Amino acid sequence: MNATGPSSPVRCDGVVRRDFLHVGLMSAFGLSLADVLRLQAAPAGRVKSCILIWLDGGPSHLDTFDPKPDAPVEIRGPFKAIGTDVDGIQLSEHLRESARVMKHVALVRSLTHELGNHDTGSHYLLTGHRPTPALQYPSLGSIVARESGDGTALPPYVTVPDSVPSLRAGCLPAAFGPFAIAGDPSKPDYRVRDLQPPEWLSFERLGQRREMQRQLDQFARSIEESGDSLARDRFFEQAHQLIASPSARAAFDLEQESPQTRQRYGQRRIGAGCLLARRLVEAGTRFVTVVDRGWDTHQDIARTLPDAQFPGSGKVPDMDRAFAALITDLNERGLLDSTLVVMMGEFGRTPKINSRAGRDHWPRAGFACFAGGGVRGGQVIGRTDEHGETPEERPVRPEDIAQSILTLLGVDTTDEYQTPAGRPMKILTSGEFVSELT
Amino acid sequence: MSLPRWLLPFGAAVLTPQLRAVESPEWNFGTQILPILTKSGCNAGACHGAATGQGGFSLSLLGYDAAHDHAAITRELSGRRIDLADPARSLLLRKATRTIKHKGGRRLTLDSAHYATLREWIADGAPAGVPTLAVAGLTVAPADLLLKAPGDAAQLRVSAVYSDGTRSDVTALALYDSHDDAVAEVSADGVVTMRRRAASSVMIRFGGQVTAVRVAVPFQAEPVALDFEPVNFIDEHIAAELRRLHLPASPLADAGTFLRRTHLDLAGRLPNEEEARAFLVEPKREDVIQRLIGSPEFVDLWTMRLADVLLISSKKQGAEGSRVYHDWLHSQIERNTPLNNLVEELLTGRGDISRDGPANFYRLTTDPRDMGEFVSRSLLGVRLACARCHHHPFDRWSMEDYYSFAGWFAQTAFEGTRVVLKNRGEVEHPKTRKAMLPLALGAVKTEEALPADRREALAAWTVGADNPFFARVLVNRVWKHLMGRGLVEPVDDLRASNPASIPALLDALADDFVKHDFDLRHLVRTIAVSRVYQLASISTGVNRLDEQFGSHAHVKALTGPVLVDAMSQAIGVRFLPGELTAVQRHDPAAESYTLDVLGRCPRTDECGNPALYGGGLSQALHLLNGADINRSLRESAGRQVALGIGPMIESFYLRSLSRLPTDAERAYWLDQAARAPDPNAFAEDLLWALVNCREFAFIH
Repeated sequence: MNATGPSSPVRCDGVVRRDFLHVGLMSAFGLSLADVLRLQAAPAGRVKSCILIWLDGGPSHLDTFDPKPDAPVEIRGPFKAIGTDVDGIQLSEHLRESARVMKHVALVRSLTHELGNHDTGSHYLLTGHRPTPALQYPSLGSIVARESGDGTALPPYVTVPDSVPSLRAGCLPAAFGPFAIAGDPSKPDYRVRDLQPPEWLSFERLGQRREMQRQLDQFARSIEESGDSLARDRFFEQAHQLIASPSARAAFDLEQESPQTRQRYGQRRIGAGCLLARRLVEAGTRFVTVVDRGWDTHQDIARTLPDAQFPGSGKVPDMDRAFAALITDLNERGLLDSTLVVMMGEFGRTPKINSRAGRDHWPRAGFACFAGGGVRGGQVIGRTDEHGETPEERPVRPEDIAQSILTLLGVDTTDEYQTPAGRPMKILTSGEFVSELT
Repeated sequence: MSLPRWLLPFGAAVLTPQLRAVESPEWNFGTQILPILTKSGCNAGACHGAATGQGGFSLSLLGYDAAHDHAAITRELSGRRIDLADPARSLLLRKATRTIKHKGGRRLTLDSAHYATLREWIADGAPAGVPTLAVAGLTVAPADLLLKAPGDAAQLRVSAVYSDGTRSDVTALALYDSHDDAVAEVSADGVVTMRRRAASSVMIRFGGQVTAVRVAVPFQAEPVALDFEPVNFIDEHIAAELRRLHLPASPLADAGTFLRRTHLDLAGRLPNEEEARAFLVEPKREDVIQRLIGSPEFVDLWTMRLADVLLISSKKQGAEGSRVYHDWLHSQIERNTPLNNLVEELLTGRGDISRDGPANFYRLTTDPRDMGEFVSRSLLGVRLACARCHHHPFDRWSMEDYYSFAGWFAQTAFEGTRVVLKNRGEVEHPKTRKAMLPLALGAVKTEEALPADRREALAAWTVGADNPFFARVLVNRVWKHLMGRGLVEPVDDLRASNPASIPALLDALADDFVKHDFDLRHLVRTIAVSRVYQLASISTGVNRLDEQFGSHAHVKALTGPVLVDAMSQAIGVRFLPGELTAVQRHDPAAESYTLDVLGRCPRTDECGNPALYGGGLSQALHLLNGADINRSLRESAGRQVALGIGPMIESFYLRSLSRLPTDAERAYWLDQAARAPDPNAFAEDLLWALVNCREFAFIH
């Protein structure tokens, strides 16, 4: 690993092109042969995958997982609290399904930070780093993608259906960015696009083209390379593997699920997304982020969180059904121990209902749900004050969440990468594993 | 003592409390006491500076509201926070020193100079002082720090200039932040320690004002013999910087690389086969630049770039409005309207959005605050948004500045599809409830009456030759487009605390742009003819570690519409439906999966980083399997076989890579062709590989 001559560009993770060629395309991207061997030799971690349900926009903690039934009406809002399968844990009334699976859930009620903008808050939660202009940090999914081997033809990191900026690879090579399935998986005729060539093109021809492309890149090898160009090579390689593997392609096919199962997850995007996430982790994807937009509820929560026109649907009931179905389904299939499920958003919302009958951004208090992956369920971690304004007990910060997710997935968060300019970057620089989780 | 305080040796002036009030014997809370609280972290966002305070004690964030904070300390809680009779018993001091329980921990020690100052101030009656005295600016010495080797350290000295013209050394009270800790570390008392051979900057804040110093250690110990003949003033600045930082320059790019780069950068297209052949025989670089700048494709490309900034989209201006707006913009670029005039027309946009292009400028939002944020960010490179709720933490903008700037847009409204001016209505400051009259950024209030259409005054200020923002943000945007990285990054964040990599170059480019009447074509030409633009991307020695000083060209990815058009051009058959090129399309909301995965700016907000759009596995899958691309390949390649295999290979190379195949390449492909069972399939596959190889996908 000493090929650092002047023409060997250093990638973000500090591995130069020539090393990459030494190890060969079939090995882990960015890992030396020694690293690969070390990974193979290490005892297989129990937790193989993570499904992160990202409630984009900032979900209200008071109207979901941290209700304050005894607070004045302008704080507690329009919803009642209900009991759950765990004594002493109450949830907001539209979380009926989740109330049945709380024995599997460790509920963090004291998530707290200071960044009240969507982009900065999201960056903080999704990378475990406060944003800085000097460096774009990689998302947790990208770190997991980098740390995982090439195991299957499936991409290691998928976003369902699409991505937000902080879910990307940041300063890591783009190859560790997520594969966004795009489109709306809840539509009945939904298909992930371009998984197969047009009917007049044989697989053989695709292989031929790939050979020619490689040959051209070989001819042009004197050209300056960049992280982007290496990522591009990698994506073509991944695409070929995926196209060539019928079983990998099947992981994206929701039509192989029974109507009962689809019903159980709900007919909305978040439900179909969670079901697809389960299929993917079952087939070997290591990190799936289900992005559910629309949680930036500045107004009229009484009519939007549960849909006033269609009882039983709306942001909270749809999420409730999908979340509970995912946990139950993973459990029934024996996958819950090996799959960590996390659900959160970039911040909580103002305890006091605003003049438009909604709630505004409130990073000082929020929630995060952990389930599966060896997490001890049926417990609440941390507590906010009587109005849900600020954590009174056991504050948990975004970097603690990041430490917990990565540690549970077997990532050593003290490892260091290098940026293209040679700047060292620890995977995480602060935060602690939330020890109550296990 | 008659020396001004800022000339006193560091330490004597600052650390000795007795010298505190040398030339201003009167106490002044805002400039002497509040900075101690700020420096100690009392009013940070996570502590008492939070919107709702902490533990019942609320201070303004980072101390930007001295009157409020003085009252909070001296009057609230029945004045228990201070004890005039026995200052040491003041709650403020006992909490800060954690003599009694304090959730925020110990912020001050009993033996510190800061503690002594606070105690004396209380003993003297905790006066407010002159409430109007404010910090007007900061100067730092040295202004530019160049150290010899990693590990070297230097003390910064900061002096504040006050609104009454006095100065004082505030080194011990200023806040310091390194832009990049891995390059330079800075201590709380302003000592910078370099960590590696690189360049970065340190931000300095005091009393609502910000500044920065550039800090660097040369990239190698030995100076370089620079092989870099300047063509114009741009190169002279670059050469000076490369010498300063001991960076060697890469040689000029070869003819084919230059030809392809200029075509893609200046006109968003590839040179065609004939152009490439002709240039390789007679490489007249300036002629090519001149021809491209005068070409219709130049107009298409730069219309698209400006439309990205102006957020032209059917989602924003509606189907008809966005088209009218785009067509208007296109016609302005076509006739080379000076950009100052173009922006004046936008800012004073009136009429009917279905007929008058510039009227659509105001279609983005009818909220004057949002409009103020958009205008300041996109056209001035000033991110005001933070100051909507509190003083900008990294810039000099206050809430007054924010709401005064929004005031420019307070009387612009819509009636149906028409922009109308109301003759009443002002923006209200949410805290003081005062109506805020419009004020330019950084301007001083005057009694001058506003014109009936106040936006005329805004436009005149915006495009005025002495506006410090407008020309700079424009040249920075154009520089980034051509060079791959802005002199200031992000391109729309021109803070004093975020200095340009080469500040003198940014100034010179802006001056030249103003001098040449905001002529876009002149600006593009000036950069394109410079040597630094024409350098090779291959690095030389240590310059591979340089990303911001122009020692070698950046490799830029072809993105979105330009990539689609370049592929279509090389293939010879367009694969997007319709007559228009991808670059010519005005509406990013129009459905096109191809454009989505190949990457396009959605124009929902500033598209700072094109890599955020498109790309990835989805793009690779589409390039492999996409029906549209494969259909055009099939249609085109078959026709080419008739040329004969040898000439066909040559033609493919010229069309896609702007160069001839080398002998080895020619021989290899002839051999492959001879073995191929189906010449049509071979042609199709080779063409696919050429438009998908690494050399094609990047501007080298």
